Amino acid sequence: MFSQKVAQQSLRRLAVQQPNLVQSMVMRASPATMALGNVQKRHTSSNSEDPTQILAKQRLNRPVSPHLTIYKPQIGWIGSSLHRISGVALSGTLYLWATAYLASPALGWHLESASMVAAMGALPLAAKVFLKTTLALPFTYHAMNGVRHLTWDLGRGLTNSAIIKSGWTVVGLSVTSAIALAFL
Amino acid sequence: MASLRTTSRLFAASRPLFRPAAFARSYATVEATQNVEPNPSENPKMKTFKVYRWNPDTPAEKPTMQSYQLDLNKTGPMMLDALIRIKNELDPTLTFRRSCREGICGSCAMNIDGVNTLACLCRIPTDEASESRIYPLPHTYVVKDLVPDLTLFYKQYKSIKPYLQRDTPTEDGLEYRQSPEDRKKLDGLYECILCACCSTSCPSYWWNSEEYLGPAILLQSYRWLADSRDERTAERKAALDNNMSVYRCHTILNCTRTCPKGLNPGRAIAETKKMLAA
Amino acid sequence: MDDIPSRTPEVVTNFIRVREVDPRPLHLLSNSVTMASFARPSLLRIATRSPLRQNVGVSQAVAFHASARKQILPPLPQTIEGTMNDPVPVPETKPSQGSYHWTFERAVCVGLIPLSVAPFAAGSLNPVMDAVLCTLLVAHSHIGFEAAIVDYFRPKRVPKTYAFCQWLLRAFTLTTAVGLYEFETNDVGVTEALRRIWNA
Repeated sequence: MFSQKVAQQSLRRLAVQQPNLVQSMVMRASPATMALGNVQKRHTSSNSEDPTQILAKQRLNRPVSPHLTIYKPQIGWIGSSLHRISGVALSGTLYLWATAYLASPALGWHLESASMVAAMGALPLAAKVFLKTTLALPFTYHAMNGVRHLTWDLGRGLTNSAIIKSGWTVVGLSVTSAIALAFL
Repeated sequence: MASLRTTSRLFAASRPLFRPAAFARSYATVEATQNVEPNPSENPKMKTFKVYRWNPDTPAEKPTMQSYQLDLNKTGPMMLDALIRIKNELDPTLTFRRSCREGICGSCAMNIDGVNTLACLCRIPTDEASESRIYPLPHTYVVKDLVPDLTLFYKQYKSIKPYLQRDTPTEDGLEYRQSPEDRKKLDGLYECILCACCSTSCPSYWWNSEEYLGPAILLQSYRWLADSRDERTAERKAALDNNMSVYRCHTILNCTRTCPKGLNPGRAIAETKKMLAA
Repeated sequence: MDDIPSRTPEVVTNFIRVREVDPRPLHLLSNSVTMASFARPSLLRIATRSPLRQNVGVSQAVAFHASARKQILPPLPQTIEGTMNDPVPVPETKPSQGSYHWTFERAVCVGLIPLSVAPFAAGSLNPVMDAVLCTLLVAHSHIGFEAAIVDYFRPKRVPKTYAFCQWLLRAFTLTTAVGLYEFETNDVGVTEALRRIWNA
């Protein structure tokens, strides 16, 4: 080790004083090195393929790491997905009903308020409560969570603890108010 | 050895000159893998780690979950300690990024027990009964095992011009100064280490990563929007004012929840939206 | 360590025996069997080294099911445009889809709050306010659906689905708007109808 160190140090000194000499020494592999059989020969490339293409091809094989299925269920994103689901359900109901109402004269359906009230009135109490809850819960949740979103858009309530607290508050309030509405 | 190391760079090409054959480094060989602590302590606290594996050399094979068991008595407190022990002592083929081991480089970002975090800042749950599951950052293209490809992430970072843009020099020709109040606005923004934990926790970024910039890049973007010394605020705002770059954010706020540095990308995006609306 | 070769076939034969009696597909068999199917000599060696580790050494590689099933909104294979050092292209400035759109959306939301609270206090709304509520509801629904379409059906990934969904949405928004207009003009109005149904 020591001799190696000395050799390197002297060579370093030489490199500072006469850089050209050292460079030529380095560039020409000395016969001694040849004898040791330890020289790396670098050919221009091991294959003729464009290296960027190799990478591009590799990329096509890559799997996508798992996401929705492995992410820990947290009130933040679960609540947000419920917000969208409830919104789509409510608006979907509105869209389907309004379109059906428009088409009802042609199809012979009866979607006027009077016949809907009559149909609702004919249902047993349990069915009424169930139907009202399934309509009221998405509405109360979407409306209350919507207010939460609007406060966030003002830049308020954006700390972790506030997000979690408001998320559970909305869940609790929407469920209780939906049940209250169902028995109205 | 120290001198060897410093000089080696100078004479990289000439190394064989001074290295007898006996010192030549042998090629790394992949030893057979094993999955259980080889020498557990007396009362071992064995914990199972399930790790996502995928090898680009066999691309047709589906990703698998491989389990390893370590004795927690012999392992450091952090997840990164466990991963390093697995790699060193059980399975050298396990691949992951790591560097600083103190939460400043952002290399070891991964999904641990369902939450994106830095492995070096995440304690191993001491509950032995439950296994820990380790995945790469969610919805990223996997290079190998726990290594995701972040090329697009960096390209997006570059697109927001993350540097001071200014044309007018200061009156006295010295550095650009700002008041303590203005400087304070950058707190909670400049600390971001771009580990991509927040971006890859965001469902919007999962579905639209090619056009939506994602929380990390938007926090960085806001860092320059909020800088009193920057003079291209209007230009920066114009670059964000379209339906994809910012407005795919639906305030899901997974970003704020997951940030291992305790920053608030969600608030930065809310402030950006306010700035754009004004 | 020398006994590995003699032990390994034993485990493998065990595995084969199980296969013979158990008609279930391979992936449903117990983990120890699945592991043997990989026939990793190193794992077998660990499993046979000591009785203590015999149980814990098995179950090493389990097929990963989350991605094996049908993927959720599967992205295209990875392609990178330009070199690694090029920034992604900056989209054109379009405030009508960006900041104006956002402000409009929030204004609609804020407007919906009093209009959806008022009927609870007053029973129902007068025809003008009812019409305003309907207009806001249609606008809010349209924007909401559109956001979902843009989120989940990226034109680059599924261009035809995206275009189909957009046209379907426009058509439905139109029929909904006309349908609501008909209901408002020929019937009792949305809030009054809801009140009556609720009290039926």
